[in-house]
Amino acid sequence: MASSEVLPPLIAAQLNHLIVHSPFPVKVEKLWSGSKKRNLLDRFTLLIPFCLDHIRWDVIYNVSAPMAAPDVIFGPDDDTFSAFLMEPDRRGNNKLAMSSLVDWNYRESFRLLNLILELREQYAAYQRKRVGEVEDERIKFEISTISHRGGIEMLVTGVEKPEEVKFGVPLLAVNINEMVPGCPWRLQQKIQLQVVFPVVKNFALSTNPSAPRLKLVSSADLRALLSVEDVKLPPWSSGMCMAEYLPDLEDTLGKQVVECISAIDVRRRFIEALAVVFGRPLEADSVFCRRSSFLATSGVFTFLVHISLPTQFPRQQPSIMLQSAQHFNSQGSPIKSTPLPDYPWSPRWEASQMAERIFEYLVEECLNFKKYCNEMQQY
Amino acid sequence: MASDDPVQKVAISGPTLASMIQRISTSESDIDGLLFGHVNSSILSLSDDDPSTSTANLTATITSFIPAPTKPYFYNSIGQIDTPKLRSLSLPSLTLIGWFSGRRQTQSRPSMREFGVTRSLSATSEFHFPVKDSDSNFHFAPCLFLLLTTPCSSSDPTIHTYEYRAYQFQSASLNFEPRSIDIVNIGPAFRGHYGNFITTSVFPMLPFDTRRNPMIVDTDVSLSDKKKITNHQRHLDLYAQGFDLAKLSGLIGSEAVNYTSSLEDLYSSMLAKLEGLARQVENSNALVIEKENSNMKLRYKVAGLD
Repeated sequence: MASSEVLPPLIAAQLNHLIVHSPFPVKVEKLWSGSKKRNLLDRFTLLIPFCLDHIRWDVIYNVSAPMAAPDVIFGPDDDTFSAFLMEPDRRGNNKLAMSSLVDWNYRESFRLLNLILELREQYAAYQRKRVGEVEDERIKFEISTISHRGGIEMLVTGVEKPEEVKFGVPLLAVNINEMVPGCPWRLQQKIQLQVVFPVVKNFALSTNPSAPRLKLVSSADLRALLSVEDVKLPPWSSGMCMAEYLPDLEDTLGKQVVECISAIDVRRRFIEALAVVFGRPLEADSVFCRRSSFLATSGVFTFLVHISLPTQFPRQQPSIMLQSAQHFNSQGSPIKSTPLPDYPWSPRWEASQMAERIFEYLVEECLNFKKYCNEMQQY
Repeated sequence: MASDDPVQKVAISGPTLASMIQRISTSESDIDGLLFGHVNSSILSLSDDDPSTSTANLTATITSFIPAPTKPYFYNSIGQIDTPKLRSLSLPSLTLIGWFSGRRQTQSRPSMREFGVTRSLSATSEFHFPVKDSDSNFHFAPCLFLLLTTPCSSSDPTIHTYEYRAYQFQSASLNFEPRSIDIVNIGPAFRGHYGNFITTSVFPMLPFDTRRNPMIVDTDVSLSDKKKITNHQRHLDLYAQGFDLAKLSGLIGSEAVNYTSSLEDLYSSMLAKLEGLARQVENSNALVIEKENSNMKLRYKVAGLD
């Protein structure tokens, strides 16, 4: 954004409110101007998460009339969505006539957020309708057997003829945020299963269907606690449907989440043990205990020890990296080591023993690192 | 036939399109407005033997447009037409056949509100109009939508690119159908279209008397005749400046060959009239721009942009 470009205050207030208060992470992909002088920014592309994917909507304000309600241009594959919005509902009301677009008030900064939430909800209904129209017996069966679960989102890909149907199924009824002591997350963390079915026309239930593509997806912040890529998915046996598959998966996953939360304490005890030998840490992640940094000296050589702990700790060993406090490279940043490879480690040791062995190892290793720093600085 | 029978194509005259683009490029921001014109029907017989296969070929012709003073003006935030405002914007002598939207740096696809406005406009039966040259007496809805956009990523501000697309709204399927646009210009290739564009300014109908010698100035006329002559003269003054009515009647009839110089006089007086009008338009335009600029400043002030 060039410095001369301005987001008019009325539009800025609406956009900021949307970004800060949205219950799901909304990104502004592009922000640009439709005014003649090209300096007043009045249109932007929003990246809105939907069904474990993203939808891109252009929100068009008019800088000459900033008090007027914005307009929206939907994605190229959703050209029938506008029509869906204008279809009357069961009570005969036009869906858009019920939205926050009516009686738009530019002074109320929550209006844009409300509009996007309403449109997204309608979009979910629109996609549900499109998936329902797909002529594939298996997909019809899947929908009928999982419809009692709440919060499932679905999506048809391919415009002319549907190629695939995607489901985003929220897993676990538990509130993970509440399970983490001192939880820093603003947004509700979720684990979802993405199930992708290929569309097969004239599908007969008797034939042997191929397994759908399955993938666990978690919200971004949850990575600090557990990485869903490490979760082994139960096999999808032939002839299975989602309603059969999900209980087993939720069972396994629920246990893993509990395990991961108790693993925080294991990591905390290790960091506390490190503090006994290294002294009080300069910095430590006090919620998830994934990182800590210590200041160490060897003679006059002063350096930092960065220790990062994997979620699989202690089965996986921590990664240790050294950083000099005295040596800098030609760009002026401090010289760092690569992660140290073969330090003594056994997952069966007590935390205090792990810490002592690392300390002993570093007494020797820091001399090598000092030599490396001196060499690096000469170039 | 239905009020949204598919038109085969949309025709627009080069100057109309050019002035629309000019209006968009000079506006401060996005604009929209109304399209006027007519829909013609020509029966195409596909087979000589079987007359039942003949089909009506509809062509929509855009002859003029009027931009709305602000956006949004004739519809609300969910795209519903404000009929009194729409009526105030259109002229009774012109037929409303649709509307247009000009947006800067946006994707060339109809937006949510544009869909709503077109749908609402098509559904307003007050604005349905008869099709020309059609034997069946059916009415057509103003269901045309012309979208003019500039591309989102134009890096060079010295090059102006405009994309234009025409759509016809189909009320039954709630769908925008893209239609091809025919730009009609002057030249041999477009001779067939000449009939589609009707002049809106015609020379006045004036009675003339061949029995009278135009060069003899009648001194003995009755009061009512005098009144009639003054009336006609006033009518003529609307089209030409300082051309005598008596001279005009001399241009018709057997003696016309002798008055070529008079004809030239008529043309130059008509040109003089046009020039005077042009000057008036120029002056009033300057006032309009001044007013628009001060409005713009006020609007920016309200929006918190000083």
